[in-house]
Amino acid sequence: MQTLIQTFIERRGDLLTALWQHLGISLAALVIAMVIAIPLAIWAVRRPKLAEGLLQLTSVLQTIPSLALLGLLIPLVGIGTVPAVIALVIYALLPIFQNTYLGIDEIDDSIEEAADAFGMSRMRKLFKVELPIAMPQIIAGIRTAVVLIIGTATLAALIGAGGLGTFIMLGIDRNNTSLLLIGAISSALLAIVLSALIRWFQTAKPKRALTVFGVIVALLAGGGAYSVYANRTETITIAGKLGSEPEILINMYKQLIEANDSHVKVTLKPNFGKTTFLFSALKHDQIDIYPEFTGSVLETLVSGSHAKNLTANQTYQLAKKRLASQDEMTLLKPMAYNNTYALAVTKKFKRQHHLKTISDLNQVESILKPGMTLEFIDRDDGLKGLKKAYGLDITAKSMEPALRYEAISKGRINLVDAYSTDSELRQYNLAILKDDKHFFPTYQGAPLMKQSFAKKHPKVVKALNKLAGRISETDMQEMNYEVNVKNESAATVAHHYLVKHGLLKGGN
Amino acid sequence: MTTAIEFQHVQKSFNGNEVIPDLNLTVAKGELFVLVGTSGSGKTTSLKMINRLEPLTGGKILVNGQDTTTVPLRELRWDMGYVLQQIALFPTMTVAQNIAVIPEMKGTPKKEINATIDDLLTEVGLDPAVYRDRMPDELSGGEQQRIGILRAIASQPTTVLMDEPFSALDPISRQQLQDLVLKLHQRYDNTIVFVTHDMNEALKLGDRIGIMRHGELLQVDTPSAIAQHPVNDFVRDFFGASRAKKIYDVYVGRVGLVQGYLPKKPAVADGEIQAIDSQATLRTAFEALATHQYLAITEETQVKGYLDRQTVMTYLSTHEPD
Repeated sequence: MQTLIQTFIERRGDLLTALWQHLGISLAALVIAMVIAIPLAIWAVRRPKLAEGLLQLTSVLQTIPSLALLGLLIPLVGIGTVPAVIALVIYALLPIFQNTYLGIDEIDDSIEEAADAFGMSRMRKLFKVELPIAMPQIIAGIRTAVVLIIGTATLAALIGAGGLGTFIMLGIDRNNTSLLLIGAISSALLAIVLSALIRWFQTAKPKRALTVFGVIVALLAGGGAYSVYANRTETITIAGKLGSEPEILINMYKQLIEANDSHVKVTLKPNFGKTTFLFSALKHDQIDIYPEFTGSVLETLVSGSHAKNLTANQTYQLAKKRLASQDEMTLLKPMAYNNTYALAVTKKFKRQHHLKTISDLNQVESILKPGMTLEFIDRDDGLKGLKKAYGLDITAKSMEPALRYEAISKGRINLVDAYSTDSELRQYNLAILKDDKHFFPTYQGAPLMKQSFAKKHPKVVKALNKLAGRISETDMQEMNYEVNVKNESAATVAHHYLVKHGLLKGGN
Repeated sequence: MTTAIEFQHVQKSFNGNEVIPDLNLTVAKGELFVLVGTSGSGKTTSLKMINRLEPLTGGKILVNGQDTTTVPLRELRWDMGYVLQQIALFPTMTVAQNIAVIPEMKGTPKKEINATIDDLLTEVGLDPAVYRDRMPDELSGGEQQRIGILRAIASQPTTVLMDEPFSALDPISRQQLQDLVLKLHQRYDNTIVFVTHDMNEALKLGDRIGIMRHGELLQVDTPSAIAQHPVNDFVRDFFGASRAKKIYDVYVGRVGLVQGYLPKKPAVADGEIQAIDSQATLRTAFEALATHQYLAITEETQVKGYLDRQTVMTYLSTHEPD
């Protein structure tokens, strides 16, 4: 509970932004869905056969899984707010259309007859008689839609539209329950509050309801206008994958670029999504730069086979060459650290047995008690291949990722798998053994951008190249530790590093 | 006598089924005309053709001399009140808003509308201060239909159409509302076409009655003419079936209708004549006749005619065989 409150206090700025984004996307989707569904339903009331078809169609649309729908929209309209809003509109159509249609259709025939017999025009009958009678049902439909939209909008984070979903994704990714809870609770609260507000609109005096509605629209429009205004100067958008490490890196990028060229403004989109998603965003000019790993490029982004046991430099050169020829992209020079699989032992154990490399493990094979993640044990580029490459004869217990660090710190095991920049290495005083046979593929981080962008912005390239060959694994572990465990902001951590290493003048 | 409504060779079919083959009828201005018949006789369809809720298949209907199809639909309907069996007040509007529906569309000034609403409510015995802002579902059935009638007459239309307006009400409310219709009809001097399946209601309300069966008008006449000279067995039976099950419960007004009233006021002292409402039963009449020679049959405050013991006895012996 305490961590939850603490996280909440630390993140309240981010939460407010996310809440605002979430509200903006949701309300935009709701208004658009209403503008489509309500007139359509009114029109369909006089055409029962067509209405039947439309009801079927909206039901079918609703059964499309939301993730699939978002996926389908990306090639059509790219990523960001637009596809998120489109998807939400599609989901909101059914409840609003259905309730409006049924609400009007179920009005007693005698009431309709009375309205006709008194010579009401079609429009007068609609606004004076039909809509007021159907209103409670229409409002109920809108409220259903709101709850649906706000829940589904958490998925907007997956396609870079931000919102409360970022907290949830981040919480899952970092195994941070507090973040996850904050995202989920906020989204639930937002749904409840909006739903209540809509019910209030139904009963409130028209004048007061209109005023409140006007204020909300003005606030949202003001926010929108401000963001347009803020984007007036030359803006470069830099995104990062989920997690603290990419967030620290893109903050460094931003600070370096802005220090180098005062006319440029950098917008950051941290926790923007997973590898292929960011790559596609870059391709479609939704973002300008994001940090990518050399290993990931070869494994997932470009086609063509490659030899095993490539050195770090060979990996980078091949990745760079293939990106240039296949996608017309530039991968700048990588930083020093290699964020790959690694084997780690406690510092004490390392010292006691004079261990430096993985090969050295052969000498202590008999006393090794390995505990590793199931995935690592099972992968060809994990333990299976490793045993062959190094001639090791060990059997590992499979353990949950978080548990194995606990276990090694308590001495129940003495060898774990890890990612080489995990903050836990720093947290539990662990040391990595050098992969002297280059068994693990190299994952070195480097800024990725389009060739055309690089050509147009030589100053940006120059600024980013300052990081080439910098940041060791321990540096990265330390910085991840500061963000994940000590809860410092990624921007501060990035700034400290840059100033400390003379890449940026201190002071501001 | 000017003509208010005229059916000329009106035909009506639903999906090729002829329900009204050839209807000809003239309703005079200021008349309260009742169309009576069993269900499926075409009386409601005939009514709805007047304000074009039902289109005609053939022939034409003239209202105030004009073919209804040549008058703009909304103007035709604004000048033609309509009262429904289901009452059908607009449930989201207050009593006042319901009454104001047509005046508002006609652009009557708000002040004037408000004054009219208060007048009308007072006239039907509902306190405006209490009832103006009530919602329809807060009213009893009888109260609702009062508002239904006020809604129809609020802009003083020349014609009012009533489609079995009281058939869903309890007997007491029904009587009160029938009296109200008579009162309002007298006050506003409008033409009313009233549809019902209840012969007693027809006899009480109608200046003239049209009896319908299978889309045909069998007889159009005054209540007493229908009672005394039915054109055929159907009309006689239809009329006969409307009498009360027990002799004591027969309305005294019915005796006058069937047997005819005395030709003139009896030349006796006023103390010898007992005034009695036409809706009172024979039970009351017998009590009165035990002490008085003559009965003065009244409706509202007007005397309809006079009866003596002999007339009542003749009625009993010839028309009430049970």
